[in-house]
Amino acid sequence: MNDQLNNKSLIQCSNVNVFYADQQALFDINLDIRENEVTSLIGPSGCGKSTFLRCINRMNDVIDICKVEGSISIDNQNIYDPEVDVVELRSRIGMVFQKPNPFPKSVYDNVAYGPKLHGRILHQEDLDRKVEESLERAGLWSEVKDRLHEPGTSLSGGQQQRLCIARAIAIDPSVILMDEPCSALDPIATAKIEELIDELKSKYTITIVTHSMQQAARVSQRTAFFHLGKLIEVGDTEKIFRSPEHEQTEAYVTGRYG
Amino acid sequence: MTEEHIVTSFDDELRELTDGLIHLGGLAQIALANVEKSLKMNDHDLAKKTIEADKQINALQFELEEMTFNILAKRQPMANDLRSVFSSVKIILFLERIGDMCKGVCKRIAKGDLLNAKSPKTIDALVGLTKDVQNNLDLVLDDYAQGKADNALNVWRSDIKIDSSYASILTAILEDIRNKPEAIEALVPLFFIARYLERIGDQATNIAEVNHFIVTGEVLTDDRKLEAEEETVF
Repeated sequence: MNDQLNNKSLIQCSNVNVFYADQQALFDINLDIRENEVTSLIGPSGCGKSTFLRCINRMNDVIDICKVEGSISIDNQNIYDPEVDVVELRSRIGMVFQKPNPFPKSVYDNVAYGPKLHGRILHQEDLDRKVEESLERAGLWSEVKDRLHEPGTSLSGGQQQRLCIARAIAIDPSVILMDEPCSALDPIATAKIEELIDELKSKYTITIVTHSMQQAARVSQRTAFFHLGKLIEVGDTEKIFRSPEHEQTEAYVTGRYG
Repeated sequence: MTEEHIVTSFDDELRELTDGLIHLGGLAQIALANVEKSLKMNDHDLAKKTIEADKQINALQFELEEMTFNILAKRQPMANDLRSVFSSVKIILFLERIGDMCKGVCKRIAKGDLLNAKSPKTIDALVGLTKDVQNNLDLVLDDYAQGKADNALNVWRSDIKIDSSYASILTAILEDIRNKPEAIEALVPLFFIARYLERIGDQATNIAEVNHFIVTGEVLTDDRKLEAEEETVF
């Protein structure tokens, strides 16, 4: 697949195969993810897009029967190299899930948790600044600055999701992975997250799994279409939604099969 | 793409839009055929009927535009559907313009008496020009109905010939005006008629370009057009 490089590629995936016991979930995935861009992963349920996303921060490691082959490099370092410190790796990769999952802690502690855990911030005033900065960047500060010590779970669904984004960016990751981050949100909360994604891409490299074709078209610069564990097509989002190369992609994006 | 959408009502709406557009194209073809006949026979009644029939074209234009608007709002089409729905808006406008221009020609025919121009050769040349334009319109509408763009480049090439005929007709009219200044009132409308016909040719070319975009997803670039021009041999 010929990709015309705009930004430099930050994540390089070569011949990635994933197995759940005897069942192969991904087949020879070769995909470069460019720095400071949003890449959408689309495809019908069970196509492997979330499995692929979870390979990028080695979340599949926690599944005993899961085996990942091939190589995934971030900044030219193979993250599946046995010498890689997985905790350190995940501190470079933030993740946001389908349902907002704030910790059962205060708004403040949700955001402060990561920096404290990784021992990156030692002084209280620095931590306060980091919490404010992260909430600000997640577009939430003005809404929660007087509620910092209330439970994170007391916020609305959309606010909770932005809190999770603030939590993810508080550890200064270079990559943010989002697995259907808006599927549990109403249209207004969704619009706020999309606006946020657009702002965040100048600082982070974002990969998002979405079932909404329109969302992929709105938020991403590049789109990858997966089907039955294979990467069928990847290209500029505009091209994928305007005139994709492959018939399967066209059939999917136009709603002719799921 | 022949497979149906999962949501069958979307297929119904797209079919209704395509059928409506084919119908609109048919009305434009009838108007142009009437132009040819009115010109040839100096048929004032047919010209007046054609002017009246333009209302039907305008009414269908609004209906189809609303249909397109609703599809965009409800279905948010993608890929070939998006190209097709977006392009429908353009084709509707091109066909409506053709209707207007046929009306313009017919107004000139119905208003005075073209025979007073005493230029049977120019009238013949205008009839010939109408036929060439008709041929191009038929080709692009056939392409549209079949979801093809096979004739796009041919129509492009042929429009160059139309432009050339138009230029020759203008020269002849100017010559007539110089030689027969007493017939100027009947000659000037011929000028306008030629202009309208040449513009209808351009609209057919526009539709050819849109067909090409629907089928390939690519805009017919100036390079391709230039290629067509260079290949043209009169």
